[in-house]
Amino acid sequence: MREMKLFLGPQHPGMHGNASVHMYVDGDIIKRSFLLPGMLHRGFEKGMERHSWMNNISLIPRVCVVEPDINELAFAMGAEKLLGLEVPERAHWIRMIIMELARLSIHLMAYGGIGGPTGNYTLMYHAHADRNEILDIFEQITGMRVYHQYIVIGGVRKDLPKGIEKDIHKFLDSLEARYDEYRDLGIDNPSIIKRIKDTIMLPKEVVWELGVTGIGMRSAVNKPYDIRKVMPYCRYDQVEFEVPYSDYSDARSRIDCKLKEILQSISIIRQCLIKIPEGPVRVPISRGQSMRWVVPKGYVYSAVESSRGEFGYFMVSDGGTNPYRVGVRGASYPQGLLGVEKYMPGTRIDDAPMWIDTMGVCSPEIDR
Amino acid sequence: MTNSMTNVEFVQNLVKSNVNVLQEHITDQYQVHFVVEQDQVHYILNILKNAGWIQMSYLSAIDWPEENKFELVYIVFNWEKPVYVQIRTKIDRENPVMNSILPIYPGSKYYERECHEFFGVKFPGNPDYEKQLILENWDDIPPMRKDFDPEAYSKRKFPQREYSETYIVQSEGKSKLAKMEARKQRAESLRGGKK
Amino acid sequence: MKDNENKRYKHASIFGPMRHFKYIFKKPVTHPFKIIFTRKNASYLNDNAIIKNKKRLDSAPRTAPDNLRGFHTNDWEVCIGCGTCADICPTDAIRMVERADLKDEAGKLQQRPVIDYGRCCFCALCVDTCTTESLKMSKEYIYASTDPDQFLLMPEKTWQGEKVEQGYVKTEESDLLDLKRIPMEHIEPDERKKSFIEVVRGYSKEYARQEAARCVECGICTSSCPVQMHIPDYIKAIWEDDIEGGLRQIYETNPLPGVCGRVCTHNCETACAIAVRGEAIAIRWLKRYIIDSAPDDMYDKIFAEPVTEVIDAKIAIAGSGPSSLSAAYYLRALGYTVDVFEEKDRPGGVASYGAPQYRIPDYAVEKDINFIKKIGVNIKTNTRVGTDITLDELQKKYDAVFLGTGFFKARMLNIPGADHKDVIGAMDFLPLARDLARGHLKLDEMNVLPSAVVVGGGDVAFDVARNLTRIQIMKYGKANVLLTSLESRDILPASLDEFVEGGEEAVKMELGFGPQEIMIKNGKVKGLKVWKCLSVFDEAGRFNPKFDETQEQVFEADQVYLSIGQAPDYDYIPESMKDKVIIERGKIKANEVGQVAGQEWLFVGGDIFRGPDIITGVADGHRAAQGIDEFLYKKSKKKEQSEYYKELREAIHFNTPVLAMKPKRK
Repeated sequence: MREMKLFLGPQHPGMHGNASVHMYVDGDIIKRSFLLPGMLHRGFEKGMERHSWMNNISLIPRVCVVEPDINELAFAMGAEKLLGLEVPERAHWIRMIIMELARLSIHLMAYGGIGGPTGNYTLMYHAHADRNEILDIFEQITGMRVYHQYIVIGGVRKDLPKGIEKDIHKFLDSLEARYDEYRDLGIDNPSIIKRIKDTIMLPKEVVWELGVTGIGMRSAVNKPYDIRKVMPYCRYDQVEFEVPYSDYSDARSRIDCKLKEILQSISIIRQCLIKIPEGPVRVPISRGQSMRWVVPKGYVYSAVESSRGEFGYFMVSDGGTNPYRVGVRGASYPQGLLGVEKYMPGTRIDDAPMWIDTMGVCSPEIDR
Repeated sequence: MTNSMTNVEFVQNLVKSNVNVLQEHITDQYQVHFVVEQDQVHYILNILKNAGWIQMSYLSAIDWPEENKFELVYIVFNWEKPVYVQIRTKIDRENPVMNSILPIYPGSKYYERECHEFFGVKFPGNPDYEKQLILENWDDIPPMRKDFDPEAYSKRKFPQREYSETYIVQSEGKSKLAKMEARKQRAESLRGGKK
Repeated sequence: MKDNENKRYKHASIFGPMRHFKYIFKKPVTHPFKIIFTRKNASYLNDNAIIKNKKRLDSAPRTAPDNLRGFHTNDWEVCIGCGTCADICPTDAIRMVERADLKDEAGKLQQRPVIDYGRCCFCALCVDTCTTESLKMSKEYIYASTDPDQFLLMPEKTWQGEKVEQGYVKTEESDLLDLKRIPMEHIEPDERKKSFIEVVRGYSKEYARQEAARCVECGICTSSCPVQMHIPDYIKAIWEDDIEGGLRQIYETNPLPGVCGRVCTHNCETACAIAVRGEAIAIRWLKRYIIDSAPDDMYDKIFAEPVTEVIDAKIAIAGSGPSSLSAAYYLRALGYTVDVFEEKDRPGGVASYGAPQYRIPDYAVEKDINFIKKIGVNIKTNTRVGTDITLDELQKKYDAVFLGTGFFKARMLNIPGADHKDVIGAMDFLPLARDLARGHLKLDEMNVLPSAVVVGGGDVAFDVARNLTRIQIMKYGKANVLLTSLESRDILPASLDEFVEGGEEAVKMELGFGPQEIMIKNGKVKGLKVWKCLSVFDEAGRFNPKFDETQEQVFEADQVYLSIGQAPDYDYIPESMKDKVIIERGKIKANEVGQVAGQEWLFVGGDIFRGPDIITGVADGHRAAQGIDEFLYKKSKKKEQSEYYKELREAIHFNTPVLAMKPKRK
């Protein structure tokens, strides 16, 4: 048959974000493919050089749309390392609560996302409805639903509002109660298993070749390689949690890991709410007003565990009010670009959206 | 669990015994930086990879126009001995060429492509490094260079919106705020000691 | 693989998903679109859509949580137009627009923010950095319009004309300003009491830069500074460690920065935007930091070219106080020949003879004056206008004359016993104290007795009291000084610094008493009889003190010092001119630049024109220089002018200060 060119995205129900996969297909088998990013490029790294350290908080979260908090935290932690700044204890715990809520939110969204390519829209609606509850909680804590602009260098902007614990507990309980329902609807649903079992493989060798991190790596290499465990930041060394992993990475096992992480995140948030101490939540970077805060010279790389893997900020300061250079290491960079080019060929057209979804490809963080 | 300080020491020994380190900095127990000569980057990355630093986390450049240099940065990571190793080297800015590290870290393919697009660094050895990636039909200097002015670019490329002058209530005489602005400019012109 | 799978996953059943059917009978969790309109949008839709739905008008969006970062509100009563919100806005959404319809008040600018909601990202940095806390965010989050211009909105106390609930507001922990001043080091009271050593040590480089980092560059200080110094700009220069640039910026508007960096009344700090909620930027001390850290050779860079006589006209200046020196400096920079006549043996006026040594040491005054001398101003000391050279002679010899003779006579009280020799006026005592401090007088020559009462509540009264403390300790080993004023603590005219430092130096204070009689026994002063003062001003705000005679007290002391105001000495004005110069309440009447009506060649400035205040005097000098230039420039012969000179001349005219409003203490 003649080779045909097909586009997946940028506007496609199975595509996450504004990128396009160019596929050359023969029948329904992808022969060649590559990702065309750039539709979302907004010059973040350049923009960050033009804003002061504090002002950057309005820009940073926009690097990743559904999970903005990882950006804020990685940026803040990097600058704090350069400054040698000790963040107040309470701020660490608040940050962890925010991070885990964000993880829940994006896992729900990604899990719901498999409803699109598999035609199981109920799953998507339910996941989004539950995610909406998280956004309501975020709105109460930070004042915004999506771009929270809450974690800043030196701590967090404001203390938790009174009584928020009750709302969080209520949500966690309801989510936990619905966990089995979610499994039944999606991953344990025989009609979906047919689509996700033993397909879209990610062998161990490929993981190391591409440099895939996060769930993709853990589901293949049978090791709990999670930055929260390996190099604990915030106070992740003071809470108990497990990192799900497996030795066989098909789409199903990756989704399984994701769902198990939901339970772990619920447990982490509950521990945080118990252990969180009282106290201040922010210390200023230096004396003076925020537009004249300076960060000492230096280079630093700070990474956090996002839902898709290692998410890092490489930052250079020349001792001025603005960062000299900020580089963002998007977690989906290896699999999203090189992975699509090298390992998507061979799969079927209808698996392509699934491929993108379960590998965890988020186009905004590729574009930056 | 091995003692984490030994991890840093391990890297230090490994790197220092093999290459000439121009500059060294330890951020904390999980991060260490080395500045090396340009021709030793591949060698040390190879050694690091064989020692377990199998993951390439980041590759990019920093522009230092005053020194007329680009600084390339390679960040590699070892999940068993959790230390980020930053290898940096400065290369010529006029003719920035750096051999690709593709044979060592295949995952660097797109990083190098991006680096070429945003800084103009050439990576011979990487078959696709010159292809466009993110910027479509780019017709200016690579945008992450410090001498690229995004504001001027945007003014040149995109229509500017005229703002309506609502809400302004001006007095009859000379505008006080205009005078303030003029004074500010005058004061600014008097500067010029140390920056 | 199969075993592994069974272990990992539970058995999948086709009936598993069926349990979701229960949700058919549950209420939806989503908010139906038809009930979430704002009234404005609902009526817009009803007007424009084919289907009109009255019910829409009753709908309302869900109430947002307390913290919501919605549309802004800005209380115009509180807002001072500092523009910090516009500066910090990361998306450039905020612009300050001029509002001439607002009342022109000291400490406020006639501008208010307008927000482009097409750009705004609702980050609330503007709220967190607002100097006054006037800018807040509401819980409103729905707004729609088809016209892009409709998204340019001016936040007011209400949102779209309706009172709205408050959303995100600044709290102490989210504040992005630094409200605490970097503490200034003072010499310990016990130490400083023993000599005339300067009390304030001055900032180190590190501290000065930290203090400078607090400034938000709003420029409200500039608008209330009598000479309109480039305050935010030189503070920025300090922050960027550019002393040379800062020095140039300072000399643009103030030729006496060393003096003003120490003893200025600092209206700028009173007006400072940071002072609305916190401690003002230490503007005065930052200015002093620049002068203290500028080496002498840096002064050569203030003028790019040496100042020379470009204009063939001569100007005489009577007195060498701040206003005279300021006039001399600017006239000289404009290219005139300037001669200054000073009756005492040192120039500087109040800076050399009025203010105490421990506030402004001689070297600081000399640093300023040396530069003025260096650019070619001739200062003739020990030459009193009126006796050594008459005003008539000056008029004949010179093209214009500036009078800046100041208030150097003490005002005395008209109460029994006030003519005793141990009842001493402040302006008689302070020059002597200054001469003692610089070693021109011996301790024995000072008529200071072991205990004293100082009458007055101004800065000068504190100067007297604190000088007396020092002299008494030097002479008798201990001090006994009591300060009494008509005004009580809350309306005390003296600055807080003086009050605090005076207290530290053990100056006793009895505030709120009116002196009635000086008790004299055997020809010696025994004390001061006072009545309790009930109120200083009457209902119309005029000075009209009321006393309670029953609360009579006697403050025992060997001496009484009166510091109840200063007076001018117009002896030098010849009889022939007395009727041509109008003197009202001790001040000479003149137009805004100080030109005396009918005597076009005669200009006045400083105390004798606008009352005692150093920085106002400097402003008078600048304005007079401008006036004299306008008067003489056209009719004088000129040399060829360089480009730099033209620029300088333009700058001096451009920077001529306007009359500033005095800000109220917050």
